[in-house]
Amino acid sequence: MFERSKKDDNTVESQDANRAETGKAFGSLRSKVTGGGDAAVIGRSIQINGDLRGNEDLRIEGDVSGTVELKNSALTIGKEGKVKADVYAKSIAVDGETKGDLYATERVSVHVNARVQGNIISPMVSIEEGAHFKGSIEMDPAAVEKVLGKTAASGADKRVTENKSGNVADTKAAPKKPAQEASTNLSPPAGNA
Amino acid sequence: MLHAPLFQDLVTGLDATERHVILDLGAASTAMLALLGRSRCRVEIADLAHFGGIIQLNSTEPGPELATAAKSLLPNRLSDEAIDCVFCWDLPNYLTLDSLSALMDAIARRARPGAFAHALIFYAERDMKEYPGRFVPTPDGELIDHSTPSPAIAAPRYSPEELGKSMGGFVIDRARLLSNGMQEFLFRLES
Repeated sequence: MFERSKKDDNTVESQDANRAETGKAFGSLRSKVTGGGDAAVIGRSIQINGDLRGNEDLRIEGDVSGTVELKNSALTIGKEGKVKADVYAKSIAVDGETKGDLYATERVSVHVNARVQGNIISPMVSIEEGAHFKGSIEMDPAAVEKVLGKTAASGADKRVTENKSGNVADTKAAPKKPAQEASTNLSPPAGNA
Repeated sequence: MLHAPLFQDLVTGLDATERHVILDLGAASTAMLALLGRSRCRVEIADLAHFGGIIQLNSTEPGPELATAAKSLLPNRLSDEAIDCVFCWDLPNYLTLDSLSALMDAIARRARPGAFAHALIFYAERDMKEYPGRFVPTPDGELIDHSTPSPAIAAPRYSPEELGKSMGGFVIDRARLLSNGMQEFLFRLES
């Protein structure tokens, strides 16, 4: 499951300046992050501050701040989960709280009682009645494709950087937030925005 | 079921071949997204009622602080595209005229000249529900109010003149009296 070894695709990296604290956090993770069934689970007592990356499905019930990147996998933010991060995944389902932009190549589902603040970029978006959402939803397929394409390309660049530098925690290699890239590709503002 | 012809014209008249930027001041609904999803658009959702926007605005003194508060209530922008259309629902009834003016000023700065704003104003009835409605459109553009029952409070019954001065440069384009006693307004942002 979540090991820091680079041999494993599933890595949790922290940008905390205090490495001792980080070490404690990972020690806690090893004991409390479990991979029962189809998805790994970050339990409700876990707090992660930094970049979280992996290549298998994940359920978050704890607190995560930073960036979450599971580009080929499904992410579920459970009822107890609180995520303050930009999230990149194949699919994202939210039952808890998120603050940050959600990028999914397949779909984003915001379930009843979820609280989401941020932008959603995905070809399929569903928001159940009773969910609370503040942000924007890109519903133009061409714009979604452009934004997600840029995001994927950004991720590919990052992987190359990882291979060269051997440092997966390199913050310079973090995925670029594609907002500006998107704006340059979309129709120019017609008015006095 | 509420037939609101100006709303219906607006949503069913969106050109599917053109891109639109929509600002919805109400809560997100799957039905509204489905309706808007027929065209190429980006939808910005503020959900003012749930995220404390109404209380925040009405409790802030008019002036720079109110302007800042109004701006902060709008969703962070994914790009700098101008807004084409604003759905206010019945939220203006729950704002003071100063709050409404500050909010619409903030919106106008993000909107293109000629952008539309749609609103439902309590007009014939003296009372309104304590909390804003939760209007959900049908595929045909009719409206259903899914709000839960709540005590009645006095409606401000803003006049067209008051609204005309408080909509941040949006002027009345058309108005209709609806079967439920509400006045439906379509505003257009002057250039």
